[in-house]
Amino acid sequence: MLDNRPLSPHLSIHKPVLTALFSISHRITGIGLSIGSILISIWFLFINLGPDYFSYFEIISKSIFFKIILILWTVGIFYHLFNGCRKLYWSFGVGMELSTVYISGYVVLFLTFLSTFIVWAVL
Amino acid sequence: MVEFSLPANSKVTTGKLHMSKEIAESPKKLVIYRWDPEDDKNPRLDTYEIDQSKCGPMVLDALMKIKNEIDPTLTFRRSCREGVCGSCAMNIDGVNTLACLKSMSDVKNDIKIYPLPHMRVVKDLVPDLTKAYEQLASIKPWLERPKSNDNNSDNLNEERKQSPKDREKLDGKWECVLCFCCTTSCPSYWWNGDEYLGPAVLLQAARWVEDSRDAERKKRLSAINDSLKLYRCHSIMNCTRSCPKGLNPAKEIAGLKKAIVTEL
Repeated sequence: MLDNRPLSPHLSIHKPVLTALFSISHRITGIGLSIGSILISIWFLFINLGPDYFSYFEIISKSIFFKIILILWTVGIFYHLFNGCRKLYWSFGVGMELSTVYISGYVVLFLTFLSTFIVWAVL
Repeated sequence: MVEFSLPANSKVTTGKLHMSKEIAESPKKLVIYRWDPEDDKNPRLDTYEIDQSKCGPMVLDALMKIKNEIDPTLTFRRSCREGVCGSCAMNIDGVNTLACLKSMSDVKNDIKIYPLPHMRVVKDLVPDLTKAYEQLASIKPWLERPKSNDNNSDNLNEERKQSPKDREKLDGKWECVLCFCCTTSCPSYWWNGDEYLGPAVLLQAARWVEDSRDAERKKRLSAINDSLKLYRCHSIMNCTRSCPKGLNPAKEIAGLKKAIVTEL
């Protein structure tokens, strides 16, 4: 009889609380950045192979799809950077009160979008 | 292994609807997870309508009203009804908390009640806590004193005194009622609960590590210095978010990690 005990629902019923969302976003951006670094290596490869190949890259890079990926990647870089700093001072046990955690989370989001905006609109 | 979906026997189906017989002055619906070990059916969600004007303010009051007046088969743990015993821990409106401390007026829509997430269900809202209690026992939640043989001058009968300052170090730890709301809100515990100790047990570990009267601080620290037991904590902070007693397990775990780095 012990074996037929069901597993209580978890992901599907737990509220998507911000604490968990910030954490999973950190992981997702981390994975995204890893994939992005492979793409950067491919880009270097294209440069290395000479002007013929590089012109292919030129064509791809002009597409809107590519721009969107690149913007998302910028968001990923900044989010991972700022949230990483947050996790770093947590390692010292600093700023771990729940209210501070929420404030620093919003600060991370604000800095992420501000930095992305500066990179794409100003620079 | 990370398993995001529920096994086939755990998929939740819709169940019965129990409408209140009289016209309710302020009706409230509670949607409650039900599972009966004595039939072969999957868990289901039963809906109960109650009259809030004839019921106490807390979710536990509503559960007891349902059990007393509508459906005596509804099963849940409860004892003190004031947040000291930690028995009535369950997932209410998506967040783990104690039913006796959760006001019904906090929930705008129907109140959805599930057992603590990612646990084996004994019946209805009663989760199987055997594993969690075993993990608690593994950190030796009692005072360890040095063996008296090597030090004869140490009078065994002498009272073990603690300064107010040392006693203060236990604040935020001793208040834990072991309801396991935090542990079962932790995604890391969901995926690695077999090895990872979880926030509630680690908070207890910190409680004994920080006790000035305890003689085994180093031993305790090295016992939990393990990539699975302790370091599956990734500071998600869901534990702190859900603790019905307002404690901060995540911060205590960070304290343990820091103590291991600086002292071992």
